[in-house]
Amino acid sequence: MTRASVRGSGARAAAQVRPERPFARFRWTVTVVLLALLAWSTWSVDATWGRLLQAPGRAVGFVGTLVETASLEPLGVALEAMWESIAIAWIATLLGAALSFPLVFLAAANLTRSRVRQPVRQVLNVFRAIPEIVLAIALIPFLGLGPVTGAVAMGISSIGTLGKLSAEIVESIDDGPLQAVEASGGGRLERLRWAVLPQAMPEIAAFWLYRFEINIRVSAVLGVIGIGGIGGFIAQAVERNVFERIGLGLLVVILATMLVDAISSRLRRRLIEGPSPAAQARRERASTGGGPTGDDAA
Amino acid sequence: MIEFEGAEVRYPGGVRALQGVDLRIDDGELIVVVGLSGAGKSTLIRAINGLVPLTSGRVTVGERTLPGLDRRALRELRAQVGMIFQSFNLVSRSTVLNNVLMGRLHHVPLWRSLSGLYRAQDRELAMEALELVEIVEKAYVRAGNLSGGQQQRVGIARALAQQPSVLLADEPVASLDPPTSHVVMRYLQQINRELGITTLINLHFLDLARAYADRVIGLRDGRLVYDGPAAQADEAVFEEIYGRSLTADDVLEGQGGL
Amino acid sequence: MSGEASVDRERGRTEPAGRQVRPRKPPPQPFTILGLAGLVAFTLVTAWDWALGIGFDPLALPGELADSNPAMVEGLFNVTDADWRAQYVELLRTHFTDPDSPWPLSLDSRIGGGLVETVQIAVLATIVGAALSLPLAVLNARLGAPDRVTHAVVKALNNVNRAIPDVIWAALFVVLVGVGALPGILALTMFTIGVVVKLTSDVVDGIDRGPIEAARAAGASHAAAMRTALVPQILPAYASFSLYAFELNLRGAAVLGFVGAGGIGQAMSYYWSQLDFEAVSVIVFVYLVLVVVVEQVSISIRRRLG
Ligand SMILES: Nc1ncnc2c1ncn2[C@@H]1O[C@H](COP(=O)(O)OP(=O)(O)OP(=O)(O)O)[C@@H](O)[C@H]1O
Ligand SMILES: [Mg+2]
Repeated sequence: MTRASVRGSGARAAAQVRPERPFARFRWTVTVVLLALLAWSTWSVDATWGRLLQAPGRAVGFVGTLVETASLEPLGVALEAMWESIAIAWIATLLGAALSFPLVFLAAANLTRSRVRQPVRQVLNVFRAIPEIVLAIALIPFLGLGPVTGAVAMGISSIGTLGKLSAEIVESIDDGPLQAVEASGGGRLERLRWAVLPQAMPEIAAFWLYRFEINIRVSAVLGVIGIGGIGGFIAQAVERNVFERIGLGLLVVILATMLVDAISSRLRRRLIEGPSPAAQARRERASTGGGPTGDDAA
Repeated sequence: MIEFEGAEVRYPGGVRALQGVDLRIDDGELIVVVGLSGAGKSTLIRAINGLVPLTSGRVTVGERTLPGLDRRALRELRAQVGMIFQSFNLVSRSTVLNNVLMGRLHHVPLWRSLSGLYRAQDRELAMEALELVEIVEKAYVRAGNLSGGQQQRVGIARALAQQPSVLLADEPVASLDPPTSHVVMRYLQQINRELGITTLINLHFLDLARAYADRVIGLRDGRLVYDGPAAQADEAVFEEIYGRSLTADDVLEGQGGL
Repeated sequence: MSGEASVDRERGRTEPAGRQVRPRKPPPQPFTILGLAGLVAFTLVTAWDWALGIGFDPLALPGELADSNPAMVEGLFNVTDADWRAQYVELLRTHFTDPDSPWPLSLDSRIGGGLVETVQIAVLATIVGAALSLPLAVLNARLGAPDRVTHAVVKALNNVNRAIPDVIWAALFVVLVGVGALPGILALTMFTIGVVVKLTSDVVDGIDRGPIEAARAAGASHAAAMRTALVPQILPAYASFSLYAFELNLRGAAVLGFVGAGGIGQAMSYYWSQLDFEAVSVIVFVYLVLVVVVEQVSISIRRRLG
């Protein structure tokens, strides 16, 4: 059944010119640059690559010890540390949301003219660039070494991302309602209240929640400089080889983070998609009091 | 040869899209399948390459019979049956040539398709397929940058690159304007005549069906209600198949304007 | 809103009365009430100064930030507050407020080497991590995985990976391969995989499935169909997310030094322990410049990809 060729009529083929295969400049450039970077980093970085070979063996031994020494005894301390991380992350998220909120509208191209917008955007960019750990270190002399320092550092450094992405959300809203409010004589604040917020707020709030998920991870990172929380708990346990704490700490951080992610992502979906059709119908029935519904209610 | 014996398809929702279809198609025929929307045309065509599984009955394509093929045999059957889609189904970001080379995937070792290093003979086949539909000059253009008619010709070339013995086309011209529809239909007809590939085309324009088919098959509610030469399929026959009188929507030439 | 209301009223007048029933204002949704109550309660619990809270007082914060705390400084650094103020607060003041103040750009080898190492760690972790991420991202999507079991396993493993913060990965890799840049590279590789796989596989759900059906209809194996019909569609998003991961890695690399995993953090924690605030601020400044420059370049490339 198979044919050697799909050539039907030789005449048609002969009349056509096959193009030359073009040189894929972009692809080659990317490949060469990436390979060069890879080679430079691999040869010159101060890494003892040979140790990579021992790693699997050591990992097996490490996990073996974790299993052998498994104990629920430090569970209370670990849960306390995890709760502290969550608390830090939550306060940081609220702080970041509150501080970034006014900036969002100043950074959105459809609400603010460029003379004001550009500087605001630059400020947001700077906040985005500063690593949390740098901010935390800079704050220690003022706030001491504790959870509040972590929360404030993370809150401030959240301003950049929250402000920038929320501004992008505001920029993507439908222009119609803005014009409608303007046409009915609404001023700047009316436009915000009746045209911008109804459209953008669910997504912005969902993004705050997403930032909360990220901040939980960041708060664990800040734990290593001593602001408290599960990160410090594990890092200290690793440093001092307290195996039952390492194992339990990892278990707690993994389960708690996944739990918070699951809850938060459900809330986010609910925020963005609104109530389920069934719930909506139930509400409508309740609000019309069971009476006849307008058949031209469209 | 393709043979349906008591073929039935019942979708999960309970819709019976094919009911007791018996049908025999000889090698080299050009058949047009007509019927109202929802009559089961797509289901009939997709049953041939196993994209839609039969819930009872059998379809035999060449030496293989569905159902009852293991995964490997099913892929061999599909490699032997080329398919053309209403919405072209091209990877719009890939080049035309890479799209056509997808027709070679069954014959190419996995490492070659993963790396994109196809053999010279596969490239040659792809180029020949493009020459057959006269679009080889676009070989290195992104598929998404072509017009609809050009994209459908690439779709045909992709199916031809499989070196198939059967060609299935599910409403190949439904997304195209009338002149382009004729161009695409003429290519399908030429391929059928010159390469002797058995061809099944779903259409809902009866003038196209009459102009290009050797044989017309009519479906209504999943049942075979007409099977005869295209020359005998007059308006009365179509009204019988559709179960209503004909309108301007049923002929391509009635689609003018716009 | 007010426009709509008046239209309704006008229409009401022309219609026979009694045909339409004005609905009562619906009660707030349970989700809204419960959600708000829950958030307020959670905030109070976490902010209050008690066993379950961190003692966060927003009203006292401005005062605390306005001045350094002598007791804290003395307790922490074992120097008097006056000395500390001379060194740190003054330095910050002059360097951030006085435009004529020259930056002490005396990059010693510890700082320069740390910066270069940070870049190397980020480059290696991004390239290796992103390369591993492409196949994993395909498997992490229901459409891309060959079967449910593979999909569930890959997804579960990546969720565990993402739940472990990068600095904890770094601490664990220090145990496995010793101190230096290697544990940092490995930790950020895991982090890159977590980010790129998650973001890229989310894109898979929105792609055009037609080409995949076409590949299947041509008798392609699952792997070949994914490579030729799915991967080209997700490639721009994947490249963009990989660059984004590079930005994150460059920023994240700062912390690695604190657990012995190399990079600029090592110099930072060293000078911090030496109370050499000038060096610390030089590091912070140069590092910020580096991060901002790389980010701008990366953003402009990402924009061209999109
Ligand atoms: N995947 C599916 N699941 C459930 N029902 C389906 C599915 N695909 C098709 N159907 C139903 O099966 C019947 C036949 O569908 P089919 O697609 O074969 O019709 P068709 O003749 O190709 O119609 P059209 O001209 O609209 O393409 C229709 O009633 C359709 O709703
Ligand atoms: Mg159909």
